[in-house]
Amino acid sequence: MFSDRFAEATRRFFEESQSPASLAAATQGLAEFLRDEFANVLRTPSPGTREGVPPAEYPLEAPGLGLTREHQLRAQRAASAWQRLADAQQRLQRLWFDTLREAAAAFVSQIQPSSTPPGPQALHALYDRWIDCAEAAYARTAHGEPFCIALAESVNAASAWRRECAAAAEAAAKLLDLPTRSEVNSLARRLHALEERLRAQAPEVPRRRAPPRARRKR
Amino acid sequence: MSSLSAALAAARDCKPGFSDKEEVWRCGKLRLYRYRSIAKPTNAVPLLIVYALVNRPYMMDLQEDRSLIRGLLSRGLDVYLIDWGYPDGADRFMGLAEYLEEQLAGCVEQILAFHGIGALNLLGVCQGGVFSLCFAALHPERVRNLITMVTPVDFQTPADLLSKWIRRIDVDAWVGEGNVAGDALNQLFLALMPFRLSHQKYMDLLRGEAEPARIENFMRVEHWIFDSPDQAGAAFREFVVALYQENRLVRGGLEIAGRRIDLRSLELPILNLIGSKDHLVPPASCAALRRLISSPDFTQIELDLGHIGMYVSARAQREVPPAIADWLATR
Repeated sequence: MFSDRFAEATRRFFEESQSPASLAAATQGLAEFLRDEFANVLRTPSPGTREGVPPAEYPLEAPGLGLTREHQLRAQRAASAWQRLADAQQRLQRLWFDTLREAAAAFVSQIQPSSTPPGPQALHALYDRWIDCAEAAYARTAHGEPFCIALAESVNAASAWRRECAAAAEAAAKLLDLPTRSEVNSLARRLHALEERLRAQAPEVPRRRAPPRARRKR
Repeated sequence: MSSLSAALAAARDCKPGFSDKEEVWRCGKLRLYRYRSIAKPTNAVPLLIVYALVNRPYMMDLQEDRSLIRGLLSRGLDVYLIDWGYPDGADRFMGLAEYLEEQLAGCVEQILAFHGIGALNLLGVCQGGVFSLCFAALHPERVRNLITMVTPVDFQTPADLLSKWIRRIDVDAWVGEGNVAGDALNQLFLALMPFRLSHQKYMDLLRGEAEPARIENFMRVEHWIFDSPDQAGAAFREFVVALYQENRLVRGGLEIAGRRIDLRSLELPILNLIGSKDHLVPPASCAALRRLISSPDFTQIELDLGHIGMYVSARAQREVPPAIADWLATR
């Protein structure tokens, strides 16, 4: 913990600075400690990628503090959305496995035992029967609440993740003085409004003569 | 197998589209086409086909023997088609109002001006059918007859899997301020029947004859399926929220460009074409139209076909164009 390290560094400083001869060295030591501790304070922490911090231990609910507060929160939101997406995908995967198991059981129950191996036509028929069983099982799953909820959650989480990534890209673009999506959208809106005003003032649709009604034989 | 490989390789670059057409108007990325007639005109009122924003409209004219448009032309109809184009990032703020009141309305005005008439016939396909219903409700004087084909009306019927999935999705977050990738929608569509659409279909291709016509037909449909335009973000958000999530065509309260859409105001003749095997737009969703409109002249035809089969199956070629032409001929 930083507080422990800070306490230790200051305790050492006070011990070593008791004599004027050691004061300079003690001061130097404390200064180096503080420099090292705060060297990265302005870096945007990225959950899961911070050195020495495994993803599971990085607290997504930690409050954002300091100059990079917004970056921290954005990174947390992106990580949280990614986690939600992974969870939803896992639920869908589980439902998919259940569907395949149900389809396989239905398919096997419909197969007639035969002493001779099936010919090409019989194989085609078996394949079509498998597809029918699979679609029937899938339809039951796909119409069900758990599937609808998991699917919507995966889309919603992916949307949230994409939004945070876009915001990060926008922040980077601003830093490099590149045009951002917000800027382009703002211009597009102004243009759109201008076009609407022009259309409102424009005369009636110009009348044109009908194009010739050509007859062609093919 | 080698002859099949050769046939597949030969069909690799075959392009969809057959009938001759001419661009007669454009607005932004939209192109309005008029098809060249191939038969003696039988109906003075032109027919405008309003296709969906999802997927490309050339499915209406895939190849010579699989062309709804050719079937209509051969029965003497004067056919126009809207191609909405491929929206890009610059179209992200384009909403339904712009699609309907600028683009669709612009096409209608152009056609009416060409022909010097006051109203035309509309044929709306799938989402284009929803647009056509809305347009007819907003501009009843501009539409003489309305044909809706595999058009969802009640977006929350029990068999509607897509609707069940979409209802819980945070559409604002999904769309953000961008467009929605066509590939993302395709992924959803394939997930409706993953075993059939991602596996059996290709097995069927392999197990059939290496007949070039069959392979070419397959490749053109394949081309069409995965030629999916991105969706303009604002319009997509409005459509999904108002219709899939809030079911406003049924419950009421749908507004386009600040004007309320009330299907009960529709009194024009309507032909409703339904595919009883449609996995994308359940038959019950289309059939709901009957109870929501006031038209005394309502015809509904349910064919034993799927969503795509309604345009390109051999049976559709035999049954759909004559059904439309005959129905129009008496109105």
